Amino acid sequence: MPAASALKTLIVDDQQTMRSLIRTSLHALGITQTREAPDGEEALRAMLSTPVNLVITDFNMPKLDGLGLLRAIRAHGPTSKVAVIMLTGRADRELVQRAVQFGVNNYLVKPFTTQTLKEKIEAVFGPLS
Amino acid sequence: MDPFESIKQTFFQECDELLTDAEQGLLAMESGDADSETINAVFRAVHSIKGGAGAFGLEQLIRFAHVFETVMDEVRSEKMELTDEVAKVLLRAFDVLADHVHAARDGGSVEETRSLGALGELKGLIGAEDADDDMNNGADEDFGFVPVTLSVEGDEAPGGFIDLDAQNASAEIAVPSIEDETGQTSWIIEFSPKTEMYAKANESGLVLRELARLGETRVTLLDETLPPLDQLAAEQAYVSWRIQLFTDSDEAAIREVFEFVEDDCNLTITCEGGEAQAAAPSAADESLSEDDRAAAASANADIDIAALLARVGGAEAAPAEPAAEAPAEAPAENVAALIARAQSVEPPPAPKVEARPTPAPAPAPAAAAPAANSGAAPAAAPTATIRVDLDRVDRLINAVGELVIQQAMLSQRVLESGLARSSNVALGLEDLELLTREIQDSVMAIRAQPVKSVFQRMPRLAREVADMTGKRVKLVMEGEGTEVDKTVIERLTDPITHMLRNAIDHGLEDPEGRAAAGKPAEGVVRLRALHRGGRIVIELQDDGRGINRPRVRGIAVDKGLITEDQVLSDEEIDNLIFLPGFSTAETISDISGRGVGMDVVRRSIQGLGGRISISSEPGKGSKFTMSLPLTLAVLDGMVVTAAEQTLVAPLSAIVESLTPRTEDVHYIGGKDAVIRIRDIFVPLIDVGVALGFRETAIDPASGVAVLVESEGGGKAALLVEAIQGQRQVVIKSLEANYQQIDGVAAATILGDGRVALILDVDALVTTQRRKPAPRSEKRMAS
Repeated sequence: MPAASALKTLIVDDQQTMRSLIRTSLHALGITQTREAPDGEEALRAMLSTPVNLVITDFNMPKLDGLGLLRAIRAHGPTSKVAVIMLTGRADRELVQRAVQFGVNNYLVKPFTTQTLKEKIEAVFGPLS
Repeated sequence: MDPFESIKQTFFQECDELLTDAEQGLLAMESGDADSETINAVFRAVHSIKGGAGAFGLEQLIRFAHVFETVMDEVRSEKMELTDEVAKVLLRAFDVLADHVHAARDGGSVEETRSLGALGELKGLIGAEDADDDMNNGADEDFGFVPVTLSVEGDEAPGGFIDLDAQNASAEIAVPSIEDETGQTSWIIEFSPKTEMYAKANESGLVLRELARLGETRVTLLDETLPPLDQLAAEQAYVSWRIQLFTDSDEAAIREVFEFVEDDCNLTITCEGGEAQAAAPSAADESLSEDDRAAAASANADIDIAALLARVGGAEAAPAEPAAEAPAEAPAENVAALIARAQSVEPPPAPKVEARPTPAPAPAPAAAAPAANSGAAPAAAPTATIRVDLDRVDRLINAVGELVIQQAMLSQRVLESGLARSSNVALGLEDLELLTREIQDSVMAIRAQPVKSVFQRMPRLAREVADMTGKRVKLVMEGEGTEVDKTVIERLTDPITHMLRNAIDHGLEDPEGRAAAGKPAEGVVRLRALHRGGRIVIELQDDGRGINRPRVRGIAVDKGLITEDQVLSDEEIDNLIFLPGFSTAETISDISGRGVGMDVVRRSIQGLGGRISISSEPGKGSKFTMSLPLTLAVLDGMVVTAAEQTLVAPLSAIVESLTPRTEDVHYIGGKDAVIRIRDIFVPLIDVGVALGFRETAIDPASGVAVLVESEGGGKAALLVEAIQGQRQVVIKSLEANYQQIDGVAAATILGDGRVALILDVDALVTTQRRKPAPRSEKRMAS
């Protein structure tokens, strides 16, 4: 049972609002080791410099989008096993399907509640302690 | 503040930026020069607004943004053609979207008919109500998705969670396999271009793209033979591809794709399940490849050189990871390369990439490190901005202002102390002065902002006014990036708004009128900003009917602004519209009018130390030109003495200075002096008298005349006792510290610590010139 407090999480979204919301929710779940990146490129940089367990990323972002980020993560040995949860709007069904093909671990539909976020994370890691 | 509340604030701030981006993109779309990235950016903006709105439960906004987003999605996926009509609908809907955002922020609501109208238009585009249906689906749609849990072999931890602090990750992730959905045949194609192929101007990228038309492809880039940079031969092509193709087509069809390049490449096509060959090795030792880096790059269009070089490792030009960040476990990799892999290794239509987990030999990290330093972060640089509280900047500006004054005072003291100009102290002071100026310029640059923030409000205004007046307008904006001090920007909105309304309402004819005049139905209004002579110039030009001079003149006579027999040039007539009292309820409609006339516009421009003028050609249109100082904080001035007062005249207004000769000075009606300067007579204004420092004018021959020009082009000579010198002064508002005085624009503190008044040249000149007839000098203010 992974301790929430040990879960290193990277939040990737081009919107400060979304990052703040996710961070707030994660903190509420006891996941306090969070970092943030505004796009896929920055996210990769951040991950390469300090490994993380979980990436929660948006789809639509400038530069490198969520799908590109997912593929880059999977393509690169050291990061290929990091859990990735995609944020999606309701219209993004197709993208979710593509993300599945590229090995996404789970998805989260916006808007979400802290509870939903918890469920999605636990579906990947098992119950958090 | 409640954290949620503060995030919400952030959201609305972000919304403003998103709306700006969206509007710009939409305008580009309307004018037909939007590329797919622009359209994507608009989609993203709307999408983000919807996303945030969803988080805060802003139902109205979500609903509207959702439909908008749906339409944008159709446009960006090219399911819907971007016609002029679509662009216009989107722009109109955008205005409503912006209103929704603001209503959500301010707790109001958008007028329902307006919102529904725009929604109707949007839905009309997608031809259905399905946008709404989509919305009403379950909150957490099930996409048939099964979460992929992490499993760690031999690890009892249920979730497969790897404690990064405890160990280094080596868990296996169960990546869902890609099923072969259709039962198509799977082919393995190995494609290794030779030098000759590129020499004949063939492109691998095109071949791969062609191949992708046959079915789904998974492309693997084989770049193991790519040598380190120092061994890279420009003429060689090093890369080859292994393609897995799922298709119904037979081998002949596949071979056909390679028809033109078959002789110049090594090609093996194998039906999978048969003897699928080992991919890479054969490619490696063949004499095969060829070609220079550029060809290799263009061969697969999206792999850029930088990324390729970066992968090779020792590249100099590569945007590489700063050394400090380069993770120990991934010395050969860097972000650019990863991105290149993620983005590029596939030919279009949505194939799947099987990027190989880096067997690429890791070049010595030592080699990578210096490269990283040299080529670091071009990607990060453009966004290297910080947000600073405006107060802090203002404090800095004030402090620098004081520094300028101190420096001037110090210089003056040193000068007064009799030290030689060549002395070390004096020389050091000169350096100090240069530095001070540099600091000042830099600080001013911090406050400088592009006029974009003002300009970007104008398209909407133009649309609204056009709608109200039934005219058709195309607003063309140029020079939005022109920078000017923030204080100037803030005060530009009103004048520009007013002038734009005016141009559309009065300047442009209605479509019928334009047709009759042989012009296109759509009028063009140009708004342009540029730097000229240390000032910012803003021009607003329309291609409408121009100023009706006889009518303007008639109105001016009726209002008693000019006498009937007064002779005025065309330009002078045009500029009559700026006179107070020219505008009347009769001549202005409720759109452009709002109860103020052009004189108010001019006053506000003058309040900024600016000038405004108009030029007009009947039937062709009018052009308003505003010229403003770049900053309101400092001014280059001529320091003069008048009536024992030290005064400053803005340098920008000064044409020349001269010593009047008695024979050149004439008196009209025995009182008002004029001076002849190169055969032109201009009023000679004794500044001491004009400002009320003394009753009678000094003898012109004993003083200095400073020839100044006002924005209307009116000239006058200001008579002062002496000129002290030219200096940059820090402007201190007189109104803020005392009160407004006619003829005085502001005040400053001089090097000796005394306060000096800055002359309002335009006011002095116009007061003098506006006296209706030379003889009626009783009207002169005293």
